[in-house]
Amino acid sequence: MRLALLLLLAPALCLAEPATVMRATELKQQPASDAASVATLAENAKVDALERKGGWTRVRAEGGAEGWVRMLALRYAGTGEAKQGDAGISQVLNVARTGTSGAQVTTGVRGLDAEQLANARPNPAELRKMESYSASRDGADGFAAKGKLSAQRVDYPREEGR
Amino acid sequence: MNRLRVLALCALCAAPPAQAQLNLNRLLESASNIGKAAQEIGEKEEIEIGRDMAARLLGAAPLMANDGVQRYVNNVGRWLASQTERPDLPWRFGVLEAPQLNAFATPGGHIFITRGLLERMKSEAELAGVLAHEIAHVLKKHHLKAIQKGAQMELAGTAVSMLARQDRSTGNREKLLAAGTELFSRGLDKSDELDADRLGVVIAARGGYDAYGLPSVLQTLQAMNPQDSGVALMFKTHPAPGERLDALERMQPTLDAHAAQPQLGERFAANARAKR
Repeated sequence: MRLALLLLLAPALCLAEPATVMRATELKQQPASDAASVATLAENAKVDALERKGGWTRVRAEGGAEGWVRMLALRYAGTGEAKQGDAGISQVLNVARTGTSGAQVTTGVRGLDAEQLANARPNPAELRKMESYSASRDGADGFAAKGKLSAQRVDYPREEGR
Repeated sequence: MNRLRVLALCALCAAPPAQAQLNLNRLLESASNIGKAAQEIGEKEEIEIGRDMAARLLGAAPLMANDGVQRYVNNVGRWLASQTERPDLPWRFGVLEAPQLNAFATPGGHIFITRGLLERMKSEAELAGVLAHEIAHVLKKHHLKAIQKGAQMELAGTAVSMLARQDRSTGNREKLLAAGTELFSRGLDKSDELDADRLGVVIAARGGYDAYGLPSVLQTLQAMNPQDSGVALMFKTHPAPGERLDALERMQPTLDAHAAQPQLGERFAANARAKR
């Protein structure tokens, strides 16, 4: 019930999210650097982000042109303009409070601000429960295979200045 | 005038020098304890500190009451951990029942993500990106190092040196725990966070996931109002998402080389959204 409510309240982040391009960028027909350009977007041009594919995001430019730009070239509003104040969390809190009787649930729901963390008492029973959910190495290998995930050799970046 | 000065000097000399000497000795001793502690925290102690911190975190927010989601997150996390240099730590993963968006790691391999963050994700690759970032903190012992660094303060200094001496009295464990859990609300060094982002990208790519999962979550966070109470603690304890995305541009070759790997959006929807 609470989950369903949260999902309802959560804004649809993947659909037409307003964004700006950080620098002059080519709008590509396909999500690839060698794809044809549809248009050139100026630095700070406003777009609507529509979907992501790998390192590319499909956007609609102000003139209506659609195409793909590097996802790392996009920055979202994030400043509070055109956004609600609190992502629905305060509403959910109220729902959780009226829907339950015990104080424990309320603590759980609002439990992760700095003050609650500072005052928390250890919960060894919950730790044991967490440890009971652990996956074995073999089990996780099978889980990965089911998802068609295959292990890759990838090096860490070299650390600079050390 | 002169006599006054001499008197004053004598007053300074009489009692304080002994005390100053004592303080200096204590300082030297505690500095050497800290140095020793830094070398002497073995894997067993690392895991113990981490379990204590994890129990405290679970005291602030219990686990989300959904066995299927907990097991799913453990499978993703365990698979990623197997791709690292510390595959044999007792890796444990948990989803905390909290609407705030955050993720935590404790030394030795206990890793947490909040329900609030899980619900903002769109694919298993995104989940993998965040878990891989936390796994990187454990690999590089960022929290242990921060506790040791904080050991210059008396509280943690005593705690760390006691630990190094294998002293297990309840009071000392409490002190150590206080130093460790303080990190949950104070955060790590910015450089450690950016380091964990880069390593996280690599670990997710090693696991065969679309490496853009973590940058994608950072963009979701960046799109949120920083005044939102759901992200207040995370924004306080981490560099701004925009800055983290900037820093990840260095990783573009790795990101692009592994961008076509599976995102597993459907498996994520089926498992992470499972009803009770």
